[in-house]
Amino acid sequence: MLEIRNLQKRYGNFQALDGLDLTIPEGETFGFVGPNGAGKTTTLKITAGLLSPDSGSVMIDGVDALQDNRGLKGKIGYVPDFFGVYDNLKVSEYMEFFASCYGFEGREARMRCYALLEQVKLEDRADFFVDGLSRGMKQRLCLARALLHDPKLLILDEPASGMDPRTRMEFSAMLKDLRDQGKTLFVSSHILSELSGLCTSIGIIEQGHMVLEGSMEQIIEQVNSSNPLLIQVFSNMEKALAILKSHPCVQTITVKRDEIKVGFLGDRQDEAALLQQLVDADVMVSGFMREKGSLESLFMQVTAREDEKAVIRHEMESGL
Amino acid sequence: MKWNPVYRRELTVNSRSVRLAAILLVFDSILAVAALFNMYSVVGQVKVTAEIQYSRFLELYTFVSSIEFIMLMFIMPALTASSVSGEREKQTLELMLTTTMKPREIILGKLFSALTMMLLLAVSALPIQSLVFVYGGITITDMAMLFVCHGIVAAFTGGIGMFYSSLFKRSTIATVCAYATIVLLAAGTYAVNVFAYRMDMNELNSYLNALNASVRQPSSGGFIYLLLLNPAITFLAVITRQAGSGNVRLAFEQWFGAQPDNAVTANWIPVSLLLQLLAAVVLIAAAVHTITPVHQGKKGSKKTGVKRLREYIRNERRRAC
Repeated sequence: MLEIRNLQKRYGNFQALDGLDLTIPEGETFGFVGPNGAGKTTTLKITAGLLSPDSGSVMIDGVDALQDNRGLKGKIGYVPDFFGVYDNLKVSEYMEFFASCYGFEGREARMRCYALLEQVKLEDRADFFVDGLSRGMKQRLCLARALLHDPKLLILDEPASGMDPRTRMEFSAMLKDLRDQGKTLFVSSHILSELSGLCTSIGIIEQGHMVLEGSMEQIIEQVNSSNPLLIQVFSNMEKALAILKSHPCVQTITVKRDEIKVGFLGDRQDEAALLQQLVDADVMVSGFMREKGSLESLFMQVTAREDEKAVIRHEMESGL
Repeated sequence: MKWNPVYRRELTVNSRSVRLAAILLVFDSILAVAALFNMYSVVGQVKVTAEIQYSRFLELYTFVSSIEFIMLMFIMPALTASSVSGEREKQTLELMLTTTMKPREIILGKLFSALTMMLLLAVSALPIQSLVFVYGGITITDMAMLFVCHGIVAAFTGGIGMFYSSLFKRSTIATVCAYATIVLLAAGTYAVNVFAYRMDMNELNSYLNALNASVRQPSSGGFIYLLLLNPAITFLAVITRQAGSGNVRLAFEQWFGAQPDNAVTANWIPVSLLLQLLAAVVLIAAAVHTITPVHQGKKGSKKTGVKRLREYIRNERRRAC
């Protein structure tokens, strides 16, 4: 659906995008994560046809976004991180105005607007003035506006920022509905817990280029495999420790009562072999699992600054 | 017929705004007071001298038309200079630019909504302006000509406002620049001509004193053509033809000295209106170009040789580091 290749964008002396590559297959919900100033909004704006890159290519559903700007706009819906509203304009008029911007007029436009207002649960606010709506309602209205022409790709820039938890959950449920309808979603957000529940794949951008990209399962597995093994031993602790000390994949061992925390550099097969070895040595194991990792911890690891990374490397090398 | 969405929305929003009603009230009140005062003074004169000076009614026409023109010169830039930048400030421009609507439609919708407001002002002033028909002296054709002149001047000043509005993010800066440009066109070109005329006159006087003979009439020279872009001069020419001496050339000679005898000076009004219309088209095209985010067929911004060299040096340094 979306294919970005070697995207470059510079603002004066600041390199916002430095050879960004990104692919989102059709029907995916892609979470776009990165620290402030990493180039998320620039990427979204270029994809939405609002900004011209210095070089690179953007293909959306087979359309070259930089060559056919009008063709691109028929395929995308854009929800920015702000609410563009007019004074003295009612919700229904706001929707009908944008419907006419997409070429829908009269009865067709009204039907479409009403259906979308119903979808975002704003049908009872149709005669309210837009500037009188709450923040959550405005964001839902923005979503309805972006869906007016039934786009294949929906671009959302920090859609849940500034919302209270309930509104955020409701908004997230609406996005899940859209995902289930087969829409491709390209979502940038700082709220990683929200992304992990919504997205099917994720990409982390740092200083203008992708540092990590993959499906949610792959990423979570990657997060988990870098976490320590937690082994709960019911009896024969000495034997268990002896086996662990002699195992080549074991890096560190920490014992806390009947629980052993093991820094383990191995895949799932190595884990299974270790468990088998412990059981064969008459060690009674009551628990054996990887410590659960979170997207937040991965984000912190990946986007850690160079000096922080150097400290982490030094700690690892010196066995601290 | 498909309406321009921006134009339709602007009409809806403007019709709900108190601003439009306030402008109409102030504008028509000024004209009505002026008309009543004029008629009162004419009647007062009749009581004293038992004679009616019909030229006084033409003065009323000149006055109403001048007020209309001044309002046009001052309101049009205010309406248009905040149009696109106002959308930027409200963060709605980007939303419109992501739709399939063309940037040209946005600019034209904004311009035509401002022109419609001006049309509303002109139409609301028609009953007062029509008072001159009671006594004659002005024909329907004259009124139509004045209407065309006002329309083109509105498009020109509106184009200036639209251009700055699309160029600057802040409405305040755009409005200041639009007014500065209009003052420069109206007062600046006049001042340049007066200055050139006086300089030429001084030079000729000293020369003539030395020779004690007559050589030629002083003039502002080629600077006179700058006035083709001066909306105030165009309006003065139209009013002079309709309610003044009727001889535009003579009036210009009084203001700026001898005029060159050619097709431009002979057809001053149509030429200046055409030029101003052309300038309006150019300004509107520039505004459309400015708000277009990605230009068709443009793959990346053009880089000059110096920029490329700087980027190469920067990349090499980064690699060395």
